[in-house]
Amino acid sequence: MKLSKIAALLMLPVLALTLAACSAPKGDAKDATSGDAQIAELIAQKPSSAEEAAELYQQLLQKENEIFASDNALWEKVFLAANKDTPMIEDGKNYGDFLLDTIEGAKDQFAADELKTLKAGAQQVKEIEDKLMALEKEFPGCGSTPGEGESVDASTAGMTNGESGETKFPSFKGKDLDGNDVNSDELFSKNKVTVMNFWFTTCKPCVGELGDLEKLNKELAEKGGQVVGVNSFTLDGNKDEVADAKDVLSKKGVTYKNIWFKSDSEAGKFTSNLYSFPTTYVIDQNGNIVGEPIMGGINSAEQREALNKLIDQALAKSEQ
Amino acid sequence: MFKAIKPVAQVALLIVGVAMVGFGIKRGEADAVLAKAIRLCLECIGIG
Amino acid sequence: MDKRKNTASHLLARFRGLIQAAATLATNIHLPNFAKGGIYQGAGKAVCVPGLNCYSCPAASGACPIGSFQSVVGSSKFSFSYYVTGTLILIGVLLGRFVCGFLCPFGWLQELFHKIPSKKLSTKKLKPLTYIKYAVLLFAVVLLPVLVVNDVGMGDPFFCKYICPQGVLEGAIPLSIMNVGIRSALGKLFSWKLAILIVVAVLSVLFYRPFCKWICPLGAFYALMNKVSLLGIRVDHCKCVSCGKCVKVCQMDVDVTRTPDHAECIRCGKCVGACPVDAISFRYGLGLTGDKPAQSTQACENK
Repeated sequence: MKLSKIAALLMLPVLALTLAACSAPKGDAKDATSGDAQIAELIAQKPSSAEEAAELYQQLLQKENEIFASDNALWEKVFLAANKDTPMIEDGKNYGDFLLDTIEGAKDQFAADELKTLKAGAQQVKEIEDKLMALEKEFPGCGSTPGEGESVDASTAGMTNGESGETKFPSFKGKDLDGNDVNSDELFSKNKVTVMNFWFTTCKPCVGELGDLEKLNKELAEKGGQVVGVNSFTLDGNKDEVADAKDVLSKKGVTYKNIWFKSDSEAGKFTSNLYSFPTTYVIDQNGNIVGEPIMGGINSAEQREALNKLIDQALAKSEQ
Repeated sequence: MFKAIKPVAQVALLIVGVAMVGFGIKRGEADAVLAKAIRLCLECIGIG
Repeated sequence: MDKRKNTASHLLARFRGLIQAAATLATNIHLPNFAKGGIYQGAGKAVCVPGLNCYSCPAASGACPIGSFQSVVGSSKFSFSYYVTGTLILIGVLLGRFVCGFLCPFGWLQELFHKIPSKKLSTKKLKPLTYIKYAVLLFAVVLLPVLVVNDVGMGDPFFCKYICPQGVLEGAIPLSIMNVGIRSALGKLFSWKLAILIVVAVLSVLFYRPFCKWICPLGAFYALMNKVSLLGIRVDHCKCVSCGKCVKVCQMDVDVTRTPDHAECIRCGKCVGACPVDAISFRYGLGLTGDKPAQSTQACENK
């Protein structure tokens, strides 16, 4: 009896340690071949209408995401290598080609079988991108919105867990801290990617990462993206809170937009439901949230990598 | 004589305690406590 | 006839476990939040609970006094918290370390761990360690959050961030189980805190309430208030036969016959139950009915 009690006691910390070891949810351990077959099948499809094209478009996009999700850690290394080299994704250049180039440039970082996986994945991405470009040519505009707000449900897209169907960030009309009107559709569509950082004035780690976010804003500006801050104390435009927030922002040298909206709006409720800070969302050009939010500061290496990956995904999507 | 100090101290502390609570609320400290208690700063509770 | 006078004390001591369980539940009443993976965000969290209970616990009904103190003084606006200190003074005077013995969830947890069968070690020779908690209170809770600030005048809640195991157990672990984003945020700091939690848990199996004795800043504060608390222990020296049973049974290493309001006494009442002549009881009220030193036999007979 003594032993079983101690064993039960030890299970608790072991359980907790297992959790600590797990970071982001791992993608499916799916067969590469069955995934290949599905992708080939999708690529072979010839849609007859704009709606079908849009649906196929989304399915292919999600397949592309799956490729990245299934070897998370490896792809993150690739994206990191890309950031260092700055071979920008040029308009018209196939994203798959870009990946192949980056992998080639960073091939010393990977083992032989890792290279094989990456190259195979990049090749598939290239094929998907070719098909996407063809679809866009045939049915222009099929890539911009997932057919009238209907998102492809997980089963049709062949998805199980990991990156789930698109969730749109609730649209809003608000103001920035200087009183200028801000509209969510404009805000997102003007940029290829928006990194939305939620913070509040008395949260020390939130304030601590403002400097890093400002740097990120400058980097993103070159790629056509931006950082936007939402201070949850400033919802409803409380004058004192806005003044405090501006004070902190100026002390930290922050130039990117900080906005607020009404707390009873959809976006306001979204913000009020957040209970841990700082939280960072990555939003693509169409106002869709990309992946899972990053919780906690972005100054740790793993969180920074996760953020970069999301940013790249959003950029890739907005390339369409 | 010494025995009398204790009840005096107790009553005094009770009064001081109530006064401090009142003053603190007036200063906005209770709002500060609430603001932090409903928005977890992850680093503050040892995550990260 | 005398035994009847002390019935309340005996009942209190006997049902302590139940009271501890009830207090833990009352302090963490919002149980459904564990399944939701969220936290209670209502106005109740502006009020401090008496024991050590992290407000990051999904079920927490109120705010931790130690956490609240640090968050107020760590903000750029304040360097001292009258609200929290005043609350602690009130609780200290009204209850003293009765909170530790009856109302603190983390104290109860340590006692549950201690029930796990193992070799039990005595802390009698480790009394100097009991001073560490005052240092923890002074530095980690009071001074460092105010003095070690960033460029905008904000300080870290040092105790919460680097030391407190209760926050890991009640907050970090349940939240990271339910929330994938929080799970991804777990890093080196969490590993450190988890290690502390495991060490405290293991030590609690071997020693009685090691965290309360050696580390807890809240216990340190209430300990200082024990001498002026309205709730105390009374020893009737007319009845006391100096058998030493109370000293033997006391797991906080206190000699109640000499120092009934000792800073280390958590008012658990084990001595009340152990005394063969029923000389020990809880007392509540202003210090007028303080302990009577051994008096002449005449004074005793006159009772």
